Amino acid sequence: KLNVGVDTVQHGVEGLVYLLTESSKLMISEVDFQDSIHVLGFSDELNKSLLQLYLDNRKEIRSILGELAPRLPSYHSLEWRLDVQLASRSLRQQIKPAVTMKLHLCQNEDQTAQVLQTDPATLLHLIQQLEQALGEMKMNHCRRIVRNMK
Amino acid sequence: LLDDPDLKDIDPTILKHCHAAAATCILEAGKQKADISAISTCLEDCKLDKERIEQFCTEYQKNKDALEILLGSIGRSPLHITDVSWRLEYQIKNNQLHKTYQPSYLVTLNVENSDSGSHPDVSFSCTMEQLQDLVGKLKDAAKSLERATQM
Repeated sequence: KLNVGVDTVQHGVEGLVYLLTESSKLMISEVDFQDSIHVLGFSDELNKSLLQLYLDNRKEIRSILGELAPRLPSYHSLEWRLDVQLASRSLRQQIKPAVTMKLHLCQNEDQTAQVLQTDPATLLHLIQQLEQALGEMKMNHCRRIVRNMK
Repeated sequence: LLDDPDLKDIDPTILKHCHAAAATCILEAGKQKADISAISTCLEDCKLDKERIEQFCTEYQKNKDALEILLGSIGRSPLHITDVSWRLEYQIKNNQLHKTYQPSYLVTLNVENSDSGSHPDVSFSCTMEQLQDLVGKLKDAAKSLERATQM
């Protein structure tokens, strides 16, 4: 329908893809984008369409590129259950409280679930440590860095 | 036991039998959480004299708690969490995407296996919201524990 060779179309598509992904990756401003494509010598109308294309798709392209980055398994959710062990093969008449948990993680679209257990003392320790971790983002040090790195 | 100079005059086979018998008796008593009177009665039935029974019971009492702890720790259970470490990082860029500017947490749960004693730790990354969700759920579990102890 375009009346050009297959190769030309392919090069065209590849060029467009490269332009959009590089621009989105670097998150360049409108002005920089316009300056960059100006050297290609296209018509003003074409340049405007390209700019619009970039702005419209930038967010989606960035989120897709974000998926390609190296990743560790990420947290999905946690289920928990309170258990009390009353007896075992080696000891009768026990009262041993425990918290049994199922930790759901995602790694590259696979979901894994791991069963873990802990005792009440360790549970309180975990809560204390992780609350400290959460508090760190609110500290001045982190706030300053986030502010200055924009 | 076999190298003890005081016992070298006794036939080693008999020594092994005695050791096994004593161990079995102690372990059964521990497993059933038997009290002193039950043990005494049992030993009387075995025709042990009073002095020996008293000695045995005294030694048993001394080590009863340690024995119970040991027996209680035998057995299978899911991986046991012993500690947690965390790391807060602020992502600036990666080779696929620049200017990401995202805080993220890396949490590692140190776990122990009841059998072999070591196991690779469970590590995962999460956002601040996800960590809040996790802490919220752990706090629910802790509150539920507290309520259970008050019943």
